[in-house]
Amino acid sequence: MLDRLPSSISALLDSRAEGHSLPAGLYIREDVFEADIDVFFHKHWICVGLDCDVPEPGDATVVDIGKTSLILLRDDDGEIRALHNVCRHRGSRLLSPGKTIVSKLVCPYHTWTYELTGELSYAPHMGKDFDKDCHGLKPVTFKSIGGLIYVCLSDNPPEDIAGLEQAMVERLAPYDIRNAKIAHQTDVIEDGNWKLTMENNRECYHCSANHPELCVSFVDLDFGFDPETLSPDDREQAEEHFRLYEARTQAWESDGFPSAAIEQLTDCATNFRTQRLIIAGAGESQTHDATAASSKLLGEMTRKDLGDTHLWGHNSWNHFMGDHAVVAIVIPLSAGKTLVRTKWLVHKDAVEGVDYDLDKLTDVWIATTDQDADLVARSHAGALDPAYQPGPYSRFSETNLDKFATWYIDRMRAHGY
Amino acid sequence: MDTRNPQAPLAKATRHDVWNPEEDDTLVCLDVQQETHDVKTFTFASRDGKRFAFKAGQYFLFDLEHNGEPESRCYSISSSPHRTNAFSVTVKRVPGGKISNWLHETLVPGASVKANGPLGHFVRSEAVKPKLLLLSGGSGITPVMSILRELADSCAPADVVFMHAARTPLDLIFRDELACIARRLKGLRLHFLPETVAGEPSWSGLTGRISADYFRLAVPDIADRTVMCCGPAPFMAAARGIAAKLGVPAAHYLEESFDAAVIDEPEIPAIQEAAAKVFRVTFSKQARSIEVTGDQSVLSCAKKSGVRIPSSCANGVCGTCKSKLTSGTVDMNHNGGIRQREIDAGFFLPCCSKPLSDLVIER
Repeated sequence: MLDRLPSSISALLDSRAEGHSLPAGLYIREDVFEADIDVFFHKHWICVGLDCDVPEPGDATVVDIGKTSLILLRDDDGEIRALHNVCRHRGSRLLSPGKTIVSKLVCPYHTWTYELTGELSYAPHMGKDFDKDCHGLKPVTFKSIGGLIYVCLSDNPPEDIAGLEQAMVERLAPYDIRNAKIAHQTDVIEDGNWKLTMENNRECYHCSANHPELCVSFVDLDFGFDPETLSPDDREQAEEHFRLYEARTQAWESDGFPSAAIEQLTDCATNFRTQRLIIAGAGESQTHDATAASSKLLGEMTRKDLGDTHLWGHNSWNHFMGDHAVVAIVIPLSAGKTLVRTKWLVHKDAVEGVDYDLDKLTDVWIATTDQDADLVARSHAGALDPAYQPGPYSRFSETNLDKFATWYIDRMRAHGY
Repeated sequence: MDTRNPQAPLAKATRHDVWNPEEDDTLVCLDVQQETHDVKTFTFASRDGKRFAFKAGQYFLFDLEHNGEPESRCYSISSSPHRTNAFSVTVKRVPGGKISNWLHETLVPGASVKANGPLGHFVRSEAVKPKLLLLSGGSGITPVMSILRELADSCAPADVVFMHAARTPLDLIFRDELACIARRLKGLRLHFLPETVAGEPSWSGLTGRISADYFRLAVPDIADRTVMCCGPAPFMAAARGIAAKLGVPAAHYLEESFDAAVIDEPEIPAIQEAAAKVFRVTFSKQARSIEVTGDQSVLSCAKKSGVRIPSSCANGVCGTCKSKLTSGTVDMNHNGGIRQREIDAGFFLPCCSKPLSDLVIER
């Protein structure tokens, strides 16, 4: 990479003004899209799924990222495996996209047959001297962090995933996400660049105007505000809210639930933020009335007042609440198309219609995701317009966007662009 | 499993949830009854006090451990589905049978075992009120006993012939209870057929093996009845042949291929007898039928007859030939090419399966 000549992408990176959104080319150009896939989806850790996507031995699911296709499965010993979905014979895809049940991994083309560990066990008509041992499926480096599956497609996975791991293993333990159940999943394809999808998720400046459902339980002030523009009443309310935060965080932590914000956002390879957030109103869950959607709480949880443990990564956002969790994974499809895959998790024994109402569980984030898809499409359409010119981020409510853009530029440069 | 702790506490049955095979797997033995000199009934409750919902004729797959080795055995439920707090299986001790002997010697009230179920499709059709012939040999009585107990419990008028064959009168399982049910269940005719009178010289009925002549006398309207048969393989093979000869349409003939004896120590002569039999194997989508003997694999015969099934390894490894078995039973020896979940859903691998009955395959 280092011997690469300065590319036209380098010039775009150089032209980014501090505190401003990215130059249009970084959102819309196909060559930038390919570079993004190479850097952010092949050389960094990305969240691709959950342990509970493959609850039983033989369960398999295929996740496609760029030109790469991964098989996530559970083998006969109950262990999770991640393998490249490429037959070692002539490269055919073994499994089709989506979920399936397998006893062996059999290539449909010439029936080369692999154990669920990836070992080649049967390859007809290849002769006695054919060495099956060196034709196993290629494994993919992955980690299950508290039940979230992170993969890295590079031979040199960034080591600072340790920060995320250290923070989240402890925080996620009581939710037992590893053994949760996926109650619902949606795939929404947004007409926008993946970075616009992420930027939209990194601020709540737009929330009060666009997300009436989410704002019942989510406190937009948590992600910054300009005290000067608030009315005296609103300012007092904001100050009250932050006093409450301090008290609540302290109480949670003294009860053994780590809650304070942890940020690893710039000067790092692995980008993440976590914090236990207060849920507004009834305080239990991100539902239309902020009360729990499932009467059976997640994992070992016994309390509904433990707020919303949020986790951001550069391709995902997650909310872990007492009764359920929402996990969103972002996969770029092209410069202007992005897949947002959202999963709603409940306790594995929770029964739909008995312990939880599916509509109540999913209403808020289905509405919010649709609204966000619309906002991202508008942003992308604007970035395509020759009149687009990078604008200033709010230094109160869009500081995380400035950090994301800065991290983006740094990581592109670190990989030779 | 834990058989050494007879004190294992049973959860108070305060929860009225139904046993869910997706999540429940632990049973506690409540009671052991000696039925005959070599047959015992074991009664199990859910560890968590859950109720059981099953259909008469279904079975449980028990995951046992014997000398540190995992062993799985299927046992049909013998109790009535109207009794929901506990169910029973009835197991015959098989000479040299390691699991049946071990159960007889080791399983005591309080012990817990792992089990998966209810499973199986050997159940009465509820669509019509059929005239039934419940036909059993030896410990194959268990699923049809469950059916009969259900009919007796529901007190509905029935038209059932219950025919049970055994080696000697002393081997007639549930003999007293059957006599008792026969006195009060209207429309039940009971026939016992011991092979010999050994042990009970005053036996007043017929003795011998089932035959067409026997059925013409005992069940003259057999052709109008739905026959449900369970017993050792040779018994079932004989019964199947006789029933067909006497005009029972294949659609009205159901059989349960396993019983404790078949699963436990396959009786070699029985298998050989089945091997010599010729079975009709129908491929429903191609509207083709071929003949397969009991010692040939379904796939190899299909190939020879020009019936095409996608296949590769021919050895139960790759699973390429996986097919839906819509009727009949097979003896399958796979090598990992199919999952129990798939078998439970009615799939099998023709490459490593020999027929035990006529088959209909969705191909």
